Amino acid sequence: MRALVVEDEAALRDSLKERLVAAGLTVDVARDGDEGLFAAMEYPLDVAIIDLGLPGLSGLEVIRRLRAARKAYPILILTARDNWQDKVEGLQAGADDYVVKPFQFEELLARLQALLRRAGGWATPELKCGPIVLDTRAQTVAVDGAPVELTTFEYRILEHLMLRAGDVISKAELTERLYDQDFERDSNVIEVMVGRLRRKLDPQDQLHPIETLRGRGYRFALPRDAGS
Amino acid sequence: MMLVLDTGFRDLSRRSVEEVLDRQMVALIAATEPQPDGSYAPAMSNLDPWLETPRSGVYAQIHAQQHEWRSPSSAGLKIDFGRPLQQGQRNLAYSMVGFDRVAIESRGIQFEGSPENTNVLTFTVAVSLGPFEEQLWRFRQQLVGWFIGLMLALLVTLAALLHWVLAPARRLEREIHAVEEGRSERLGGGFPRELAGVARNLNALLAGERKRVARYRDTLGNLAHSLKTPLAVMRSSVHGAGAETVSVEIDRMSGIIEHQLKRAAASGGALFGQAPVDVAQVAAELRGTLVRVYAAKDLVIELAIAPGTQFIGDRGDLTELVGNLLDNACKWCRSRVRLAASADAGTDPRERLTLTVQDDGPGISAADRPRVLQRGARADEKVPGHGLGLAMVQDTVELYGGRLEIDTSPLGGARISLRLPGR
Repeated sequence: MRALVVEDEAALRDSLKERLVAAGLTVDVARDGDEGLFAAMEYPLDVAIIDLGLPGLSGLEVIRRLRAARKAYPILILTARDNWQDKVEGLQAGADDYVVKPFQFEELLARLQALLRRAGGWATPELKCGPIVLDTRAQTVAVDGAPVELTTFEYRILEHLMLRAGDVISKAELTERLYDQDFERDSNVIEVMVGRLRRKLDPQDQLHPIETLRGRGYRFALPRDAGS
Repeated sequence: MMLVLDTGFRDLSRRSVEEVLDRQMVALIAATEPQPDGSYAPAMSNLDPWLETPRSGVYAQIHAQQHEWRSPSSAGLKIDFGRPLQQGQRNLAYSMVGFDRVAIESRGIQFEGSPENTNVLTFTVAVSLGPFEEQLWRFRQQLVGWFIGLMLALLVTLAALLHWVLAPARRLEREIHAVEEGRSERLGGGFPRELAGVARNLNALLAGERKRVARYRDTLGNLAHSLKTPLAVMRSSVHGAGAETVSVEIDRMSGIIEHQLKRAAASGGALFGQAPVDVAQVAAELRGTLVRVYAAKDLVIELAIAPGTQFIGDRGDLTELVGNLLDNACKWCRSRVRLAASADAGTDPRERLTLTVQDDGPGISAADRPRVLQRGARADEKVPGHGLGLAMVQDTVELYGGRLEIDTSPLGGARISLRLPGR
């Protein structure tokens, strides 16, 4: 999952980046509205965190322009002003949720994950597809109730695929969303990871949870459980 | 003026009495002849017939040394004709005959053909003042009538004049009232010169006040931003031992900043000339926001707002009030939240708007009700912000002179009812 943080206060920006990366996200940062708008337009993002009180282009204006440019990923607002008028304006401009400063990082992360789930069409923090259950809060995976040990990177690939279960996701997209932009891109790494994931989730080779579509990418093929 | 007219008329009528007396006197003297018996009497045929009619109101007497002649009209009446006069003497007096006031004129005259002094006759004529007094009385009546009429006409003219002169002042008052009630944002033009300045200054004051409040809120917002961003930095950068304590203190500071800034920003209706706020619009905006924020909860927010219901006060205040109540309800509900609003024209202007927010959650027990209204108190620590939100609502409602009530909703959860200025 790739997130953009637009925040003018350097210390807060750095600490947010550090903790989001620790939580398994790929993070881009921007220092003001103009830089934020550029990054939000150019990078393949899954979510953006935008402070409303930005120097230069205001946070609201950045959100409006992103939505006008048909950028559909979820946007979380950071605001110091805990009043409803600002929240209403923020959400009317196109944001999806807000967090009031000073926030608990855990709360921000929970809201961020909820937005990502919702963007993928999931209502609950547990993603269930047949026997495979991924808990986005605990970042654990179980098959038929038995926990499966995954590396961080494997987990991130599976989360990305399961959040958008049913959709075809290209190798290039997976690379972009899971690596930092200046990371050396090697699609072989993705192939290797997917191969390991398949072996861990489906040792008997019966479920076939991840399909490979030649030349197009991967698809999480198990149907989503009704009601989740 | 009335006195002058009255005195004038009295003088006039006195002169006409004197004229009548003179005429009677001259006729009496001319008609008087010496009689064979040495007395003097007038020839009746040459006299005023009234002198022959008893109690006619015209009486006469001729007094000689030995004789006295009295007109037949005075028969049976006791009239004091006065004492005899010397030659050339003249006397005018007023006296009573029965209940009748009379004017009496006497003249002493040396009759011709009688060289001796003894032949001085005293002619006396008395004329009843009845007809004159009656005339005077009628005149006075008329005079009073005219004066009352004139006075009424003057009063009516004065009232009309005042009405006309004060019309712009009344318009000014009406427009100020409209601004006060929020039906208009500024005073109109077209006032006369004397009031145009007042209207202009009031408009400037209103505009200045509005700008001042907007700037004030802006400053408060900036203050919140510049105080809370460092707090957010502090919170995100403390790790390890003591982090919990620091975090709690940061929460407290943040809560205090939030509460005080919100209190300062709530205008409480002091903002004169604010346009009334459409409750339905604010509610719809908040519902849109909350449905997205609580997207994970699968809840329904029902709005039951009577068409045209308006809140008289600041839009930001209403948004805060309804936002806090709906947010609480969304936090606590299982799946249903209902916001109802209506206006009741019959009640106290400060309590015309009724806003009710209810949910199907656990509700607030009667014992907890006073506690959740205390600043910072939380009925359930598991859901943050509940107490602070309601205490804030309570503060703002009080600023508007309204009321807040907590009871149990038919849906099963809490029902918060607000009474606010509106229509």
